[in-house]
Amino acid sequence: MTSRFLVAGLGSPDRGDDAVGPMVAGLIAADHLPGVLVVVHEDPTGLLDLWRGRDTVVVVDAVRSGAPAGTVLTVETGEAQSPLLDQAWARTGRGGTHAFGLAAAVELARALHALPRRLVLVGVEGEHFGHGEQLSGPVEAALGEAIDAVMGVLESWRDEEPARRTG
Amino acid sequence: MSHKLTDGGQVLHVGTLARVEGEGGLHLEIHDGKVTQAELRIFEPPRFYEAFLRGRAWTEPPDITARICGICPVAYQFSSCMALEDACGVTVPQAIGTLRRLLYCGEWIESHALHVYLLHAPDFLGYPGAIEMAADHPAVVERGLRLKKVGNELMTLVGGRSVHPVNVRLGGFYRMPTVAELRALRPALERGLEDAMETVRLVATFDFPEMEQPYTYLSLRPETGYPIEAGDVVTTAGDTWPVRDFTQHIQEQHVAHSNALHATLDGTGPYVVGPLARYTLNHDRLSPLAREAAHEGGLGATCRNPFRSIVVRAVELVEVLVESLRIIDGWRDGVPPAVPVPARAGEGFGATEAPRGVLFHRYRLDADGIILDAQIVPPTSQNQPSIEADVRELAQRWVELSDHDLSHRCEAAIRNYDPCISCATHFLDLTVERS
Repeated sequence: MTSRFLVAGLGSPDRGDDAVGPMVAGLIAADHLPGVLVVVHEDPTGLLDLWRGRDTVVVVDAVRSGAPAGTVLTVETGEAQSPLLDQAWARTGRGGTHAFGLAAAVELARALHALPRRLVLVGVEGEHFGHGEQLSGPVEAALGEAIDAVMGVLESWRDEEPARRTG
Repeated sequence: MSHKLTDGGQVLHVGTLARVEGEGGLHLEIHDGKVTQAELRIFEPPRFYEAFLRGRAWTEPPDITARICGICPVAYQFSSCMALEDACGVTVPQAIGTLRRLLYCGEWIESHALHVYLLHAPDFLGYPGAIEMAADHPAVVERGLRLKKVGNELMTLVGGRSVHPVNVRLGGFYRMPTVAELRALRPALERGLEDAMETVRLVATFDFPEMEQPYTYLSLRPETGYPIEAGDVVTTAGDTWPVRDFTQHIQEQHVAHSNALHATLDGTGPYVVGPLARYTLNHDRLSPLAREAAHEGGLGATCRNPFRSIVVRAVELVEVLVESLRIIDGWRDGVPPAVPVPARAGEGFGATEAPRGVLFHRYRLDADGIILDAQIVPPTSQNQPSIEADVRELAQRWVELSDHDLSHRCEAAIRNYDPCISCATHFLDLTVERS
């Protein structure tokens, strides 16, 4: 059965702070939350397939917005929200498919009417993205806050569901 | 961006080219209505891979060089494997070569599907990008994404991951896929083949500017089949030489405006690698279905119009899907995944057909297998002079257009090559100067 909730950690595990998405996903997966599918993904174009047919999705990714490293950003961008074009996610990668980033995946899905009803992006500001690097100190220190952000979203949705179904 | 020069000339500058892989730009100078300069400026920083391969073990380049590119890592893995196995005097068994071809098919499907649908088709359908195109042509974009997914699935099964495969090693693979695993992919590949045929029918309806490239085309040509993971070098000048003679014929030189080396063939003018060259030199090697697709797509036995490269890529999609199904149907379990490749002193050469064209590797090893010297010649650096020559000719043809329109058309002409700047710097931005 398709899990109602999907948590996707986006990023490359061996590119410094880009690993924050997979790491947060891994830590959440360890809790074996019922009804929650947790996946790790490197290729944003693949997100569209993951989203298809799902109602609620959280994506965790590293971002570069100019904020201090370790800053946790949360943006809701489901089918009812505005395009991401002015968000931190949109500023990464305007070029080819090498740089087909999370914002492009979200907006392509919106154009194809394939966005989940509710989609929340949890971004962690990164500073180092070198090959083979570990997470930077500020990003490692922000893991707990990022996990709390994801769990907070899941819990609010769980609480909301019965009301939505009966209401 | 455009500005006047003090001598009355004009510069058109396209700061950062869109929908190409990596970061680069184009600089055009126009004096008295004549295009005097067209420079592809590659400012993505040089990455010094060849330098930091020195001192590493002979077993490491397949994993290290794969990181040069997220779109064509398999090309780097297999060109390096071939070169290092050549240096060590090892020839891998046929089954390993066959599985390399299958993994490479997955990479071509991913790369061609992305370029055709997300990067190139918007030029012909009149959209600034794939997202805008998706709003009006959702079924078209969905088909592209579906094709990409088939490539991902093939890469994941054979390579262990859809990006930067982890199952490749010198001498072969870490693990062979089973017949049952491969056959399970068959329905998706069959659907992919239908989608590839539809892709040919779609792109064949596009309007293509007239253009006939005069350059020499260069590709690989194996003993049998369409060139992917092996072959000798052949050119439209009628030359054939083994890959080990590559550096005798191809010279690389630094030019001031680019962080990527420019390559020349036998000291002559531009030459072209990639889909047009492969097709023109190997049309007879296509499967019957791909040949039928080429005919349906309006192609003859050769194709020298760079704008029609999108048709050739679509035909190549058909070819690699046919080839994937053929390989899967003939696969047998129980084949050892790798052969030993003991180190020895020597020099080795390898070349394969990356989606963008021939990718050459050369390594020199000491007796312990430590790399003394490495050389990597990616397809985009080979194509840079021909890209500039194309743009110079086309900008002259379109010189009366506004700077905005001229910039847009020049970018589209560059996208004909699906240039990979990240590979070439292992390399786009447009400036036009007018007077």
